[in-house]
Amino acid sequence: MRLLFYALFGLFGLILQATLLPRMVPFHFKPGLLLILVVYLGLSEKAGTGAPLAYLFGLLFDVFTGAEPGRYGLLFLLVYFSVRATVGFFDSENPFLLLFLVACGTLLESSLLVFLDLIFASGRLWPIVLRALVPQLLANVVAATALLLVVTWLQRRFPRLRVPGMQRLDERYES
Amino acid sequence: MFDLLQRYRRHILACGLILAALLFYSANLRSSGASTFFERSVLAVTAPLLSGLDAIWSSAADSWTHYLWLIDAAAENDRLLEETRNLKADLVAVQEVSLANERLRRLLDFKEELAMPTLPAQVIGEDASSWFRTVVINKGSEDGIAEGMPVVVAEGAVGRTIRVAARQSRVLLITDASSAVAALVQKNRTRGVCRGEGDSLTLDFALRLKEIEVGDLIVSSGTGGVFPKGLAIGHVEAVSRGDFGLFQSVTVTPTVDFSRLEEVLVLLRLPQVDEAI
Repeated sequence: MRLLFYALFGLFGLILQATLLPRMVPFHFKPGLLLILVVYLGLSEKAGTGAPLAYLFGLLFDVFTGAEPGRYGLLFLLVYFSVRATVGFFDSENPFLLLFLVACGTLLESSLLVFLDLIFASGRLWPIVLRALVPQLLANVVAATALLLVVTWLQRRFPRLRVPGMQRLDERYES
Repeated sequence: MFDLLQRYRRHILACGLILAALLFYSANLRSSGASTFFERSVLAVTAPLLSGLDAIWSSAADSWTHYLWLIDAAAENDRLLEETRNLKADLVAVQEVSLANERLRRLLDFKEELAMPTLPAQVIGEDASSWFRTVVINKGSEDGIAEGMPVVVAEGAVGRTIRVAARQSRVLLITDASSAVAALVQKNRTRGVCRGEGDSLTLDFALRLKEIEVGDLIVSSGTGGVFPKGLAIGHVEAVSRGDFGLFQSVTVTPTVDFSRLEEVLVLLRLPQVDEAI
């Protein structure tokens, strides 16, 4: 059930990012729905489940972005492990934790993207990333906030629904 | 030793996974020319979803327009409103058909000019991230498309196919940071390489002594092996010459409006040399 939820959300986010969002959101600033999911995986899933899922989502994302397969697989894996490694230092009851980690995840993803591009590819991506970093960060945080609101509403509306993390999210973010 | 391994098992596994991902990525860099089975499968599975969502979006946008007209109409005489609304709807429909007709005619004229086999295709999706510039088209290997084929519109060069599934392909736009097109300034034949900068292009390696002015047309030189010679790429937007150095810095605005890309032509020819754009 849990894996199915992640898979459905991942696929839905991917399709949304490749079709509707580019038409609805101007200037190429599509919120990174899969990145938010990977950060959420880092918060709620142990490495045995979370890491392969993060890598799989990255590989799927690679099919719809850029020209080099495997790039986002690696990036999402690194983002997942980074979230996993640092999550113990934060207060998990803080309602802004997911938003903060999404912001950090965006910065980390961008930095790693530029680093990989400098090392392995054309090395010309950094001006594009720098120009779009702040709007992208805002778009991701806004999307994460919207998702949180939707998830808490779902949890209230369907209390018997046992979607992974929703119980915890409800306890943490509803107050 | 075993205790050490046992103690740091998670860290070792995490590092191993990251290393494997890095190796997979770097292995793909060397052989990034062909689509993998995984990519072809994902593209094939998601093709109907992409096309369906594309159709739903068009229909929703159409309904929203009609709804707005209804709100405006509330203040008007009922009969006149109905008539006006219908007429407007007809007019918009006719205009839409006319615009599509015009676009397709230009594409057809261009297709005849090209004198090489071409395949019309429709853009059904865009790049899923904000950093790269690719689009998805509704034609694939079943229609004769292969990796590395140039994609154009009447206004000029669009990009090249990089991933091909049975009924769907992904096109790397010339504005992507990893794109480079062998180009020349049409007026004085100064050679250079047009590289993507996200939304604009830069002409690199244009000799400093050559006279390049704002507004000059940049066309493909045909030496890159992907695009045929003479395809419009963009117009010079700014030129900057330092006091020294071998080259000048030229900013180019693409002739193609990539935000309104709908129909494209795929030139059914494989890259002539090993050099990629």
